[in-house]
Amino acid sequence: MQLSLTGAPGICPVAPDALQGIARQQTNPARWRGEQWPEFAAAVRAAGIELRESIVSRGIFATDAGGQAYGMSHGVVVARSTDQVAALLKVAQQFSVPVTTRGGGLTTEGESVAFGGVLLDMSGMHCVLNVDAKALTVRTQAGIFWHNLAEELRRHGLDYLSAPLNLTSSVGGTLGVGGIDVNSSKYGCSADQALSLQVVTPTGNIVECSDTENAELFQRVILGYGQFGVITEATLRVRSYTPLRMHYFYYSSLRTAIEDLQLIDRSEAADYTGILTIMDCAVNLLVAFDSAQREATFLAAWQPRLRGFGERGFSLRMLGHYALRPWKLREALCLLRRKGEVFPEFRRPEYVRDGLMHDRTVVFSRAVWKHWGNRQMVIPDLATSAEKFADAVERGSAVCRKYFPAYTLYLVGIRLRPEHAGHYEMSCVPPDAEGWAYGCEFEPIVGDAVYSRDYLQSFKNAIYDIGVDLGTSYYRFGGAMKGYIRRVFGDAVVDRHLAMKRQADPAMILNRDVIF
Amino acid sequence: MSDYLADAARCSGCGLCQLVCPAWRQSADVELTPLGRCKALQHGAAPAELATSLASCNLCGACEVVCPERIDLFAMTRALRGALLDAPPENSALVTRQIPPATRAARCMLVADAALRARPDTLARVLALLGGAVVAEDDGADIVAAIASGSPLAPEHIATFVSQFPAGTRIVVADGLLLRQPLPWPGGSEVLGLGAALGALPAVRDCLRTGDLYVIEPCAYHADYERQVVRYDALRIKRRCEINLDLQRIAIPAGVGTLPQAADATAQARWIVQGRQLERIVIESENDRAAFEGLGICPVLHLADVAVKG
Repeated sequence: MQLSLTGAPGICPVAPDALQGIARQQTNPARWRGEQWPEFAAAVRAAGIELRESIVSRGIFATDAGGQAYGMSHGVVVARSTDQVAALLKVAQQFSVPVTTRGGGLTTEGESVAFGGVLLDMSGMHCVLNVDAKALTVRTQAGIFWHNLAEELRRHGLDYLSAPLNLTSSVGGTLGVGGIDVNSSKYGCSADQALSLQVVTPTGNIVECSDTENAELFQRVILGYGQFGVITEATLRVRSYTPLRMHYFYYSSLRTAIEDLQLIDRSEAADYTGILTIMDCAVNLLVAFDSAQREATFLAAWQPRLRGFGERGFSLRMLGHYALRPWKLREALCLLRRKGEVFPEFRRPEYVRDGLMHDRTVVFSRAVWKHWGNRQMVIPDLATSAEKFADAVERGSAVCRKYFPAYTLYLVGIRLRPEHAGHYEMSCVPPDAEGWAYGCEFEPIVGDAVYSRDYLQSFKNAIYDIGVDLGTSYYRFGGAMKGYIRRVFGDAVVDRHLAMKRQADPAMILNRDVIF
Repeated sequence: MSDYLADAARCSGCGLCQLVCPAWRQSADVELTPLGRCKALQHGAAPAELATSLASCNLCGACEVVCPERIDLFAMTRALRGALLDAPPENSALVTRQIPPATRAARCMLVADAALRARPDTLARVLALLGGAVVAEDDGADIVAAIASGSPLAPEHIATFVSQFPAGTRIVVADGLLLRQPLPWPGGSEVLGLGAALGALPAVRDCLRTGDLYVIEPCAYHADYERQVVRYDALRIKRRCEINLDLQRIAIPAGVGTLPQAADATAQARWIVQGRQLERIVIESENDRAAFEGLGICPVLHLADVAVKG
C-alpha cells in the first residue's frame, strides 16, 4: 500500500511508479567512484593544467541553482583556453573520467553538478574577442555571462538579441539548452542567435561549426545539452541597443491573457511580449516596443482588441471584486503587498525615464532574483505548441494551487526558425510546434516556508507529468529529469541520439548523466 | 563583527556578486569572489584557507549592493580578515583633543586622505569650494587601516578621531571607507563623501560636460547606494557626461582609497574607458589619478579643478 502526502492511502507522487502506466527511469545519477583518478590527475597536471582538489574548491560547485541535487567532483578545472579544454578532454577519454561542464550553474535539476570526476568551470573563459558593429556580430568566449557580454556590447551601442532574465547564465550553457527572453516571440530562443561555434569534441578535437561548416555537429551542439562538445567560442548575431517602451495590461483570467498574448505574437504587433502573473486573478501581460513608430501602430491598431485593463482600471475592478467578497480579504492584502514589493522595481528612476525602460535585462533580472521564487530555484516548466499552451498552463496552475499557497507564472512565446529544424530535434522545442512554441515556468513563492526535497520534487514531477500527458516538451530537460526524455520523445529518437553520442564520446565522459 | 558563518549560510549561489566584483573581472576565478568565499565556508573552510581570496578583495562594496539575500558582505570580509590576524593590535592611549578656536568655528571639516594632501593646490580648491572648510588634523588613516585589515576598531582611536569635530559640523571624507563603518560622529553632524559634497555644488556640477568621464569613488557611493544612484544618474542625464557605472549602476573601481591595490588598477581603468570617446577624465578621488593618467588618453582632473578650468 502506498501513502499519499496527507498520509491517507493512495498514490504517492514520489514513488517509483507514481506515473501510472509509464515506468519511471532512474533519475539520480550514480556517483562515479574514482577509478584511475590518481593516474588521471597526474596526467592532467603533466599537461600543464591546474587541477584543484581541495574541499574548498570543489564545494563551490556542489549544487546548482535548483539547490536540490548535490554532488562533489573529484577535482575542478577552471577553463582558460580552448587548447587547455581540448587537452583535458583527451586525458579524460584516455582514463574514462567524467567531465561535467558548468557556466553560471543556473540549471535546476543538477545538470551542472558533478557526481564525481572533473567539474570544468567554463566561466574562466569570459573574454569578448571581437565586436563587428557593421556586420552586427560578436565573437566571444563561451564562458562569459550574458550580462558581461551586454556590458561590452553597450560600449559599442549594441545589445545581444535575447538571453535568460537572470544575468548570470553563460553564453555556452544557454546555447546548449535554449534560453528564453521577453523578445523570444520575435527573435526565437537565445540559441537561435548563434551563427557559428568553436567546439571541443568529447575526444578533444577543436572544430569550428555552423550551418554551413560541420553542420551536423552544429545541429547537435546547439540545444544539445552539452552532449556532443564543449562550446568554447561563439559568434552571435547582435543588434543596436534600444530602450523599451513598456505597456502593461492586466487580466483576471489567465486564459484570456494567453489568447491576447498569442494574438499579438501571431500579428507580430509588438517587439516584446510576456506574461507574469501576480496571482491567479491578477495576470500581467507586458508588451513593449523598440521604436515610437511600432508603439504608435500597436496603440492604434491592436490595443483596442485586447481585453486587458490598464493599472488604474484593473485596480478599480479588483476593488469592486473584493468589496463583494470580504471573506477574501487575505487574498486582497496579499495582492496589495505583492504589488507594493514588485512594482517599484520596474519603476526605478535610474532605469525608467520618460516612458522608456533602459537596460531591461537588469531591471527584470534583479526583480526576478529579489521577488520571484526563493533561494532554491524551483521552476518546473512546460514548452508546448501554441494550441496546447492554455490547457497546459491551466493544468499546471492547478498543480501549483495544490502544492503552494502562492506562486507565479512566467509565460513567453518562442518564434521558431524553420531553417533550424535540425537544431530542435530532441530539445526544448516541442516536435509538434509550428511557427511559435510557448513556454511557461511555474514558480512557487516559498518565502520563509520550509519544504522537504521530496515535496518540491513531487511538485516538479506533477508539472512534468502534464507534459507527458499532453505531449509537450520542457526547457529543463536534463539531470533529475532525464527520466522524461524517453517518455516524451520515444525510444527511437533517443536511441538514435544515444548512438551518435557513443560514437562522438566513446568513453561517455562528457556531461554523461545529463540526458542519457 | 559579523557572524561570518551565519552570513555565508544565507548565500544561495546566485552569482550576482561575481558580476560586479573587480577581482573576478580580472581573474575569472570564482574562488576570489564573495560567492566563492560563502560557498567555501558552507563547506567547512577555515579563514586561513581563504587568505588569498580575502587579500584579493578591495572592499569597494559593490557586491553587497547587488546581493538579493542582503548579506552584509563588507562586514563578513572584515570579520574573516580579522580572524586571520594573530593578535589584535595594541590600542593607543585615549587622547582627547583640544579643539582649536579656528576649528571650533568651522561649519565644514574635510578629512583629507594622503593622496589629496599630496596635491596642495587641489586641496586648497576643495576647501574653498566647501566654503572655507578646515582640514581635520587626524585623517583617520589608522581607522581606515583597521577597517581594511579587519582589526577591531579600538574605541580609543575612534574617540581620538571624532573628538576633533565640533558638534553640528558638516564632515566631508575623502576616503569612502570611513563611511562604511558606523562611527560615533558628533551629534548634529552631517557626514558625506567628497564626491557627493562637491558634486552638489552648481559651481562644480555645471562644469561637467559631454566628453567627460566622471569617476565615482566607489566606497562612498556603495555605502549610500540607494540615494546616490538616483543622484548620479540625474547628474549623468543633465550634464550628458559618462560615469564609471556599469549596467547595474554599480561603480566600477579603478583603485580604492588608500588600500594596497589587489586588483590591477590600470587594467580596471582601461576597462572603464573602453569604447568611450573622452575629452577629460574627472576623478573624485586623487587615488584614481595614477591609473587614468597612465592610460595617456586625455587630461585627468580632480572634481574640484573642473570648477576652475570649466
